[in-house]
Amino acid sequence: MSEVKLTAIVGRDSGSRATRRLLAENLVPGVVYGLGEDPVPVSVDRRELRIALTTDSGLNALLDLDVDGNVELAVVKDLQRHPVRRDVTHIDFLRVDRSATIDVDIPIHTEGEASLVIQEEGIAELRLTSITVNVKPTEIPDAITVDISEMTMDKTITVADLDVPAGVTVVTPEDQVVVSAELTRAALVEEEPEEGEETEGEEGGEGEGSAEGTDSGDEE
Amino acid sequence: MLMPKKVKHRKQHRGRLKGTAKAGTEVTYGQYGIQALEPAWITARQIEAARIAMTRHIKRGGKVWINVFPDKPVTQKPAETRMGSGKGNPEFWVAVVRPGRVLFELSYPEDDVAREALNRAIQKLPIKARIIEREEGF
Repeated sequence: MSEVKLTAIVGRDSGSRATRRLLAENLVPGVVYGLGEDPVPVSVDRRELRIALTTDSGLNALLDLDVDGNVELAVVKDLQRHPVRRDVTHIDFLRVDRSATIDVDIPIHTEGEASLVIQEEGIAELRLTSITVNVKPTEIPDAITVDISEMTMDKTITVADLDVPAGVTVVTPEDQVVVSAELTRAALVEEEPEEGEETEGEEGGEGEGSAEGTDSGDEE
Repeated sequence: MLMPKKVKHRKQHRGRLKGTAKAGTEVTYGQYGIQALEPAWITARQIEAARIAMTRHIKRGGKVWINVFPDKPVTQKPAETRMGSGKGNPEFWVAVVRPGRVLFELSYPEDDVAREALNRAIQKLPIKARIIEREEGF
């Protein structure tokens, strides 16, 4: 796993007004913490940050973070985004030790087509998009790939079935479902005719007894 | 249509719609989502219309999640009534939506069909909204 260089500028002002100014100058405010040392408020150039975090390793890239002349090994612990613009508004860097293990989230990708499931009018659904693993910072895998081509309707793939590289310990519970086969809406409609629009699981509370009827004695 | 099974109080204050959504701004269940870009009260009828538009388009396969619930009662006074005499009667239910909120999520294997289904759902909503995908990277 290659390490990506990133320069962090120290000595930023705190507070919403100063932070807004930083963001306007295309700097992302952040903080560096970990390994028992004091947290340091920093800011990083947005363009440099984007380049550093768009390698094959994605958000789990191992960074050589230059903090005021000291190069520290770090990973991204947390990202905050603006809810509408989606740009990064704050970033947490975690100092890491090359020899000590850390917990990181690894994305799960599917491979192949679940043809046996599709034949039976089903769909293979990825229920878990990432798993937490305990690994040395230098051995963080880019992603974990699940082959769903052998999937059948009565089979589920759990965390225990995943092929994880050597040196990686899975923290996520082993019985958690990663991929499951479910009947499609069309197949469900065939089983229950005339109920076409009411087959989703989320639509509770559709009874005729309205809320007004049940609590009319609450007030007055 | 979606509505609460029972409520503690039949009538609510209107409240304010300032700011952006604090939570529910990411696609968490499906692959695609509809994100609100404006603040609004979305009525139960609008949610249902959007859901039907989406599910009719994805004839086979796919799964839909509705991430908002209309839990706020809206009252209205009858027409041609003089002012006063207390608050009106609860008439319909709305979900309070602020910009950034993911309203619906969809999982479907074909990208173009999924986007068309979400576009049809957006047409049923009273606000500007956009299609977003699950984010993994930067």
